[in-house]
Amino acid sequence: MSGNIRGLPPVTFRRLYQQPATALAIFRRMLPNLAKTFVTTLLYNESPVALGDLEALVRPESYREREDAFGKLRRLHIITENHLDVSLDPVFKKNFRLAGDHHSFGVPCNTEDKKKITVQFLDDYATRQFEAILHYMVGTHNEVKPSEGVITLLTKGGLMERYGAGSQATITKHGFSFLLQDGNPQIWALLIQYLEMAEELGMEQTDVLHFLLMLGSLELGQAYSVNTLTETQKLMLADLRDYGIVYQRKTSSDRFYPTRLATTLTSESGGLRSASASMSNAITKDAEEGKGFIILETNYRVYAYTDSPLQIAVLNLFVKLSTRYPNLVSGRISRRSIQEAIKMGITADQVIDYLSAHAHPQMRKSLVTLPPTVVDQIRLWQIEGERMKTTTGFLFKDFHSTQEFEEVAKYAEELGVLKWKKPSRRCMFVTRHEQIADWLKRRASAQQQLQKKVAA
Amino acid sequence: MPRAVKGVLIECDPSIKAIILKIDKDSGHGYIVEDLDDETLVVKEPKLAELKSRLLRGLVCAVDDDDHEGEGAESASG
Repeated sequence: MSGNIRGLPPVTFRRLYQQPATALAIFRRMLPNLAKTFVTTLLYNESPVALGDLEALVRPESYREREDAFGKLRRLHIITENHLDVSLDPVFKKNFRLAGDHHSFGVPCNTEDKKKITVQFLDDYATRQFEAILHYMVGTHNEVKPSEGVITLLTKGGLMERYGAGSQATITKHGFSFLLQDGNPQIWALLIQYLEMAEELGMEQTDVLHFLLMLGSLELGQAYSVNTLTETQKLMLADLRDYGIVYQRKTSSDRFYPTRLATTLTSESGGLRSASASMSNAITKDAEEGKGFIILETNYRVYAYTDSPLQIAVLNLFVKLSTRYPNLVSGRISRRSIQEAIKMGITADQVIDYLSAHAHPQMRKSLVTLPPTVVDQIRLWQIEGERMKTTTGFLFKDFHSTQEFEEVAKYAEELGVLKWKKPSRRCMFVTRHEQIADWLKRRASAQQQLQKKVAA
Repeated sequence: MPRAVKGVLIECDPSIKAIILKIDKDSGHGYIVEDLDDETLVVKEPKLAELKSRLLRGLVCAVDDDDHEGEGAESASG
């Protein structure tokens, strides 16, 4: 989500911060702890604070974290700077103070629902809807078929592709690595795609974001009123229902229930692991019963106690399956099967994570869940296929002087983004460029001012 | 002001780099952004997947034999 939001123009940020729930969600989910400290320091200060005072809060040796925190706050337009004074964006400040008691957190329905909706029911509903999407992706037949809207989303997102209108969609590389992810990242991947499509569908992008971030602060099992939602958000309800994120009994119903998929959306990064764990509890059948189903032996044989077409299809991505019994499939992991998987864009770590997350209780009894030899071999097979190391980023070149090159290289190193440099050619490769570009600009304008002074 | 160019940094053996240079030359220089030194170069990001698959095809011919050996060893152990 973060990369997606960061690219938005400043005006959009102002509009985003008009909702207290959004301001709070961005604060909780997207800022490092140090940046949070700065925000809380500034929050109830009516006058701007000197940059030096803020910097004094941080130990000199932690300059890297400090620069990172300021960089994030600048890019999210949470702080505004006037010379050496820093203050919070007024819109952000006002609404962040409101966070806590406001309509943007949804208005609960006071009246009793005729039919009581239990948390268990919501969990079942979310599981059924979301599994239907996964089942559809691997091409297994399931009684619940996802709606046309979901299918469009999957194809637009590059998770599936359709050759020619009306033909059956097939899963892509991205789709495969999507399948191996945890529940929470999967949902975010879908929602980000939804956000990108929103504009095409004539929806207000900020409205969509507000609603998604608000969902994260709702309470599971509580009914919320539809009446306070905007038109766009009412439209969204229909789509979110398809994904299993909210539940509505009828389209015309005046209340909706967020499911567990919704309420764990913006959990704090600390709580993320547990949130995704609770989610995979809700999503995968085996975890519901409280046990895994895969046995991996030191001779690379795999036994999986399952009859779920979804699990078998996922296993088939990296295991050469040979036998199928009513409640058991067996096969083996081989160099070829792993390298096939890698070719489809799945990493060795994803395979290992999947195996250990779904390991049979019997395997968990030993000190290490998976046989170390097999785990190492899977990693080796991956390295074998990779004859080169690739890093996406930016090449900086055409520096005026060696001094300029060295200064920028030092700054990049401090930020931790420097990947490679060659002083003799005055070239360097960095993984992120925004902060360096900012720094160069600020430096250039400072130099211009200095020159003006000298001239005057 | 220095310039920034988006791309993918590739670090590899000189032998692999030689093959990449050849692929680039054969395709009319569609891949490489900047040739940095014996073991490093920057290529266009959207072209990376294509380059990898062409590289793999070039290498498969060379390692095909030992692939069969691998399969044989596996069935013996199983």
